[in-house]
This record gives sequence, C-alpha cells and structure tokens, in this order.
Amino acid sequence: MNDLDAEIRDLARRRRLPPAYLARWLDLDQSGRSALLELARALKFRTGQLVAALDLLDEISVREQTSAAQILARPPLRRLVTGGGSGPERAHAVLDQLRAIRFPRLHETAGRLEAAIAALRLPRGIRVLLPRELASDVLTIQLAASAPGELDQLLDALLEKRGEFARILAMMGGDDNV
Amino acid sequence: MITFELDALIVEEASRGSALADRLVGAFGASVPVSYVSDAREATRAKLGADPLGTGKRRLVVKQRRAPFLMSCPASSAKFACCGYLVLILASNCPMDCSYCFLQEHVANNPAFQIYSNFCDSFEEMEQLARSAPGRHFRVGTGELADSLALDSVTKLSVDLIEFVRAREHLTLEFKTKTDEIENLLELDPRGRVIVSWTLSPDAVWKSSEHRTASPSARIAAARAVLDGGYRVGFHFDPMIAYEGAEGDYLQLVDQLLSAIPARCISFLSMGALRMTPELRSAARRRFPHDPMLLGEEVLSSDGRLRAFGALRVRLYRALQERFERAGAPIPAYLCMESRAVHERVFGLAPANPATIGERLALG
Repeated sequence: MNDLDAEIRDLARRRRLPPAYLARWLDLDQSGRSALLELARALKFRTGQLVAALDLLDEISVREQTSAAQILARPPLRRLVTGGGSGPERAHAVLDQLRAIRFPRLHETAGRLEAAIAALRLPRGIRVLLPRELASDVLTIQLAASAPGELDQLLDALLEKRGEFARILAMMGGDDNV
Repeated sequence: MITFELDALIVEEASRGSALADRLVGAFGASVPVSYVSDAREATRAKLGADPLGTGKRRLVVKQRRAPFLMSCPASSAKFACCGYLVLILASNCPMDCSYCFLQEHVANNPAFQIYSNFCDSFEEMEQLARSAPGRHFRVGTGELADSLALDSVTKLSVDLIEFVRAREHLTLEFKTKTDEIENLLELDPRGRVIVSWTLSPDAVWKSSEHRTASPSARIAAARAVLDGGYRVGFHFDPMIAYEGAEGDYLQLVDQLLSAIPARCISFLSMGALRMTPELRSAARRRFPHDPMLLGEEVLSSDGRLRAFGALRVRLYRALQERFERAGAPIPAYLCMESRAVHERVFGLAPANPATIGERLALG
C-alpha cells in the first residue's frame, strides 16, 4: 500500500466512510485519488459530503467519458476550492457545482425559471416556490398577510402578474418559445 | 437475425412431451444439456452467481404457468393516462439484455428465462374476456415480461397465437419486439387481427444499452416486411432517453421510419420517457456501470420513479409529435406512464379513458 492510499484510508476511517465508498475512491486512478483527497482535506468534507462527491464524480465520469481528476481540475471548481469563504460554505458550493455539471440542463432550466420569478418583483408576503428538482409541474405560491388590506394588496399584485405566471408555468412545461 | 446461446434447458416433468418442450428440445437438445425436474420452481429461483439475471437469461425453463395468463398492463394506474392495454404472459425474462430493462428489478428473485408450455390455456382466458364484454374490442400483447418474438423461430408461438386470434373479431393481438425475427409471421395471413410493434431507439441508445437486439434499421426493415405481409404495425418510442443531442437523433430516426413506412400505414405510436425506480437504477448500474444512458437528468417523480425532469421530457415528446403531425396522416398516439397534464401538454387535449383508447387502438 502506498502513502497516498494509506492517507485515504486514514481519512476514510476518521470520517467513517462506508467501505463501498472507500473502495470506489481507491478505484480511481492515482491523480483522481489524489485530487479528491486534496479537496476533502482543504474543505474538511464531512462523511455525507464525501459520499455525495464520490457519487457525483462517478456519474459525471461515465456521462462525459472523463476522469475524476479532469473534472476536479475544471476552473470553476478550482476557483471555489481556492477562493474565499469558510470551509463549509466552499464545500457546499463545490457540491452544488458538481451537481450543476451532473445535471446541466436541469441547472440551466432552474436558473432561467428563478430569473423569471425574480423579474416579477413581487411584494414581500408572496413567495413563489419551484418544485424540487423541477420534478413536477406544480408551482407553489404562498401568501403571508396579517390584515385584510394587506391580503388584498397581495392578491392584486398576483393578478397583475397573471400573464407572467402563465409564462413561467409554460416554461416549466417545456415550452421554449416563451 | 440474432442467435441466442443457452447454457441449460430445464423441462418440468408436467411439460415433457408438450408441443413447446418438443420444439425447444429439438432445437437446443444437441448443443445444450437438457434436464427434467419434477418442480421447476427451484430451477427458476436458484441462486445464479454474481449476476443472476444475466445467468438466468441463458437458462431456459419450460414449465406450466399456474397463474392466469391474461392481466391488465402492470404499468397501469389511476395516476396515469393509460392505454387500456392487456398483457398475455407467455414467458418471463428475455434473452436480450437492455441495460434499462425493468425486468432487472421485476424478476430479480425469479431470474430464469421461463416459457410456459400450457400457453393454449390462455386462449380460453381470452374467450372468457370476450364473453364478459360482448361487442367490445381488446388489444392484447405478449411483450410485457419477454420480447414477443425473440425465440419465435424455435418456439413458433406466434403461429399458434395468430391462428387463434385471426378468427376472433373482438381481439387484436400485439407482438412487441426489438428483433427482426419475422419469418414465421410472413408465412401466415393475420386477417387484420395482428399488430407487430417495435420499440425504436436511436443508434446511440441501441449501441450503448440494447444488447443482443436487432439494429434500429433492421427493426424498421422488418416492420416494412410484415406490413407488406398484411400485418398492422406500431412503434414504441419507449423508453425515450433525453441524452444530449437526443432530439436530433430521435427526429432523424422518425424520418428514417417515415421514409420506409408512410404515416397512413402506422397503426399507433407510443412514447414514454425512461423511468426507473431507484432500486432498478441501482441494479442496472451494477450490471452496466459504464452505460451513460442510465445517467440522464432524471429526478424523483411523485410516483417514486426517476424520470427526466418535466420540461426536458415534454420538449422531447413534443418534438416527435410535431414531426409525426407533419407526416401527412394522423397517427393515433399515446404516452406511457405519464399524467393527464403531460398528455395535455403534448397533444393539446385531454386523454380519453383507458378503455376507449384500448378499443380505438384495437380497431385501428
């Protein structure tokens, strides 16, 4: 067993990483094993984050026919690893970035929908929630009012944006022409 | 035609001497060890090594079916806009090996390739069905738990089935396949009572995921041949896999299909996105860890299955539907395991109830 593998095993033991995930880590080529170790140390990955990173790296590797090392060397990821912010914040951001790589069109579509919702400039008291992972076609709109007049104002604001809401629902339904 | 290899042929004593067992022993007996057992259940459930399903595909068991042959499509649910399909279970498991196949989960505990020697009992079940609803028409298919034609050159089940169904006006039989094994069909006149349907996927999916199946071009050529032989033809774009570049590939496939078979000659189309339970996806990835088609942008739907997220799959459905709409003749079409809302988005109208759709597809 070389030093790199010993260091990986040591970290896995301390993090109580399930054996199947340790095996998967050790199955990566040397540069992939090393890059993930560097990432896990730099960002102090917790067990769940290591598991998620290994799953995402595996799936991206198969999807894109590339290696874990090449994925982790991509500039957006490197910038997050070496950039500012706390370790937990950067760890969270790195995993989000890996998810964006793994689900590129979902990420792009969700981004367009979020931008469309932000552009509505709705008053405080109205929250618009997209379905988790865009898995359904249901847009949730929440109203929070503490007085009848306030409720009237929110309802008026909603009605005023009726056309825009229809457009957002059409986007969720796959309509590219809106 | 694809030749399938077997490691073992196991015949239950109760099936010894049956027409089906004789055909199989005659075809494979010289090259494959044949054994006879009093109860085949042990053989079908045997532990079959690290890949029970893969091993099971090479272990053909001839036995009597003890459960009914005829049932509603197992995919049907009040959650979906269904097509009223009835399935006839004449075999379980399949010699082909598609990486996304639901059998990897469905027959995980019972993985041997089973084929039922008492298949003629299913004829009485179909007669009973007709008697129970006089005047109605039914579409009954054999391709649910096995490819309808994968071993047909040996089993000749299609011959028995066609001879039964062609005299029954209330029944339309559907053979669903990914093969080009149509020689037996071409010997018979189905008298309008038989649809042969093909699952169609672009070359990228075929090469990556549909192991030991005929190529998409060969399937289309086979469809043309049976159409010329008096059969109705249908096509299942199911599973549709929304990989990068899928839309262009699927549209090219549609063009290839329509250049061989005019729209007016197509009895129906179905579309359905790849859907997998998390357990199925795990099983599939264990068996096919390098297949990128198993790793699309699927997210968990409310029915517990992973599907491409809504906007992505609706876009793909619509692109195909629009291309078929421009083909010059309306083709009946339905979605498999999708909600009424998705159906409305794709076709622009609410779906009819399952019995009505089933009857419409049966009548053609």
